[in-house]
Amino acid sequence: MKEHHKKDQAQDQQKKGAKDQSKAAAAPAEGAGEKKLSNAELKKKAKEEKAARRAAAKVSQPQPPAGSAPGQAAEGAKGGKPKPKQQQDGPQAAGSQHGKAATPRSAAPMPAPKEAKPSVPECFSHLAMAKGVNLTQADKDVHPAVLMLGQQMSTMAISDSTTRLEATLLAFKKVIDSYTTPHGTTLSRHFTSHVLNPQIVYLTACRPMCFSMGNAIRWLKLQISKIDIDMADSDAKKLLCEAIDSFIHERITLADVVIVSTAADMISPDGGDVILTYAHHHLVERALLRARADGKRFRVILVDDPFERVGLAHAKTLAAAGIPVAYAPDLGALRTNLQEATTVLVAAEAMFSNGAMYARAGTCDVATAAFDLGMRVTALCETINFTERVSIDSLTYNEIDPERNTDEEFRLLFDTTRDKSISAVVTELGICSAKSVPAILRKLEEL
Amino acid sequence: MPSVSSGHALDLEKFLKSLKGQPLEASINSLISLLKRRQIKGSEPCAVATAHILLQVVARSKWHDVDSLLINVSRTGRKLVDAQPNELVIGNIVRRVLGLIRDEASEDRGDAGDESASDAPTPTDIVPPAATSQQWTTRRLDSANSAAPAARPPIVSSYSSINPPKSLFHLLSTSPPADGDVSPFRNSGASTPTWRGNSSQIHALRSEVIDGIEEIKDEISQVDDQIAASAEVQIHPGDLVLVHQPSTTVERFILRAAQKRKFTVLIAVAPPRRHSAEGQHATFRKKLSAAGITVVNVMNGGLMAYMSRVNKVIIGARAIVATGGVVADAGAAAIARAAKEQGTAVVVLSGVYKLSPESPFDESSLIEWGDSSTFVSFADGPLVSGAEIRTALTELIQPELVDTYITNLGTHSRDHLSSLISDHYKREDADFHIWEEAEP
Repeated sequence: MKEHHKKDQAQDQQKKGAKDQSKAAAAPAEGAGEKKLSNAELKKKAKEEKAARRAAAKVSQPQPPAGSAPGQAAEGAKGGKPKPKQQQDGPQAAGSQHGKAATPRSAAPMPAPKEAKPSVPECFSHLAMAKGVNLTQADKDVHPAVLMLGQQMSTMAISDSTTRLEATLLAFKKVIDSYTTPHGTTLSRHFTSHVLNPQIVYLTACRPMCFSMGNAIRWLKLQISKIDIDMADSDAKKLLCEAIDSFIHERITLADVVIVSTAADMISPDGGDVILTYAHHHLVERALLRARADGKRFRVILVDDPFERVGLAHAKTLAAAGIPVAYAPDLGALRTNLQEATTVLVAAEAMFSNGAMYARAGTCDVATAAFDLGMRVTALCETINFTERVSIDSLTYNEIDPERNTDEEFRLLFDTTRDKSISAVVTELGICSAKSVPAILRKLEEL
Repeated sequence: MPSVSSGHALDLEKFLKSLKGQPLEASINSLISLLKRRQIKGSEPCAVATAHILLQVVARSKWHDVDSLLINVSRTGRKLVDAQPNELVIGNIVRRVLGLIRDEASEDRGDAGDESASDAPTPTDIVPPAATSQQWTTRRLDSANSAAPAARPPIVSSYSSINPPKSLFHLLSTSPPADGDVSPFRNSGASTPTWRGNSSQIHALRSEVIDGIEEIKDEISQVDDQIAASAEVQIHPGDLVLVHQPSTTVERFILRAAQKRKFTVLIAVAPPRRHSAEGQHATFRKKLSAAGITVVNVMNGGLMAYMSRVNKVIIGARAIVATGGVVADAGAAAIARAAKEQGTAVVVLSGVYKLSPESPFDESSLIEWGDSSTFVSFADGPLVSGAEIRTALTELIQPELVDTYITNLGTHSRDHLSSLISDHYKREDADFHIWEEAEP
């Protein structure tokens, strides 16, 4: 695969996926008569119908109004359109693509909740947002595990990039498990376009994919395409599942262990270090707890995100581990807090290839203020989160908080920190500078 | 938070009403406790309350000459400043009143006795350096001998060097003052021994000072309007303007611009507190939407993400220190820093009365720490015992992050602030709050 065109390719694949999707929707319709559906497919269908029934019952309760049709969601991943337009397109497009199972039920409850939702402010309408897909509107080919995952993602129950990646891969494993290659075709040719792509389209519609998911899905598709045509179905599935397992193990589980211990080692064993961190990230938390477990004495200043108090629980965990914690609920008096600290430890959601760090909104403010004071800013990030894309400001790639997307309440989830304010990036491959992200990406290609 | 601010306005009104019925001491004490309990808070209410109480001091306290009036005013001022040291405007108003008294007194004296004014140093002239140093040393010796606390020498140490005596004759003819005369009151120019106010002069002085304080009060009430006058110049059509927790000054400014221009306003709202009601700045939003302005409430702590789009950041100051640093609501400094990163203009709105001649040595001294229970419940045992909660209410914006200051006198650059300060305050009064009570 030519890595330079990865991005375009990914988009192409997504678009292709969308097209295939409509084909896929049409295929079973004609196929139903001639070919008998396999057991797995029947079971899947039954499950799906059950899920759809449940969702239909739930519609009366306030639920994130179903956004877009799957076809559109593919491009919604990056640079989505203003919402109202999609809403108009929604029902027809969805209706046309849905199998017979979903359409009748979804028709009735749809229009009601839609009109009420005000639109995203004009100046930020280019940004992506997790729109959530009503279960009744999901494509019938979507596997139940993926259906559930999509709902968890759209409600931000699973929100950080690595956890999303892991959950996605595990769900895909289940998809692979329940897959049987139809007659007259092979896994490597059929699975990606007819089974995997609808899952991806659905997930993307629920919430725009994060960079790590894009990377992993590209990898997975490559693995699928490499499978020998003559290989038996069960062997191929086993091979794929093993590959996914080892991918998760290497790129996430082990990577986290290495990053955590490297970061913990960076804390001085003599004591006296004061570490300032922002909000909550599991890598930072684990690194701090690890350092404490190693017997290091240090203090933590935790600056929280004022509109999403994820830091409170973090502070509690640290305090329970015997680390003295100072908790600042917002960015007020940031300079004073920083002057007291010796180092800043944050975790990145992704790293762009120009060395910019994509992380929770507010991280950039902390990092620049620390840079002003000449402090060391360390970012923790698994290499799976590295992307070849380039971003120089925070409005190129960003996401709008799905719960606060109106004039009255508006919130961006991420911001982009330029490489100059980042002293070091800790990855599973070691400590590097932000500028060396493209070098690491090259290296990863060779592996 | 409209509900909260109206609550404070009520306290201020109640206090102002109570002024008439109470003896002076009681009023002063009640204001002190109101300030200490932060029932009167925010720079404008504090300034108004200070002006009112000083007016009462001038009108009702016992004084028989200018010096004793100055002492009365500065003593009251000192108590108020001690009650709420973070509110620099209190000190500013006290300085303004002290300066006013000095001005009026020197005018009076000019009318009363021309012959003394002609050869004595002019009122603004302070003790020459030679005298100062001598005074300084004798004073040091003196305090070393006696157990009395060393009185801080008057402002002379910092200012006299800038004000050299006019001629050698002055240098020689001015005899060093006696040991006890270290209070700035003796140097006030108005206190030449020949000046003993008769009752009519005192009466005239009193009424003139009262008029002056009334003018200060008028000035405070007109500040918002005057600042708003320059709104159209600053805000251009199509701008994306970011305001941080808009005060009434900022709201008036934006609303004035909204009459003529179409632009978009981003409001950086205050973080939700545990007990706060929803819908911040609702009335402001309503007014702006009525004018056809798009308003977006931004719920991010750090606003770096938005800065590439924002054209202007407008911050309402609580106070401005002499260096140009701005005391503002917590979070403003991060916004100003973010603006600097993207080269976005930062405009600070402030009445001249908020401009303080003080410049803090330590920026953290200007941070007011708030109630930790706004964010963390006391029921949360592990957190209460395990973590230190730091809730900053105000903070200092570094002077280099601010591009323009707009006051009721116009638009100023940072370099111009010092001349504004010297226009409004007398050097003698700069450190009034740390004068020892040397005088009986």
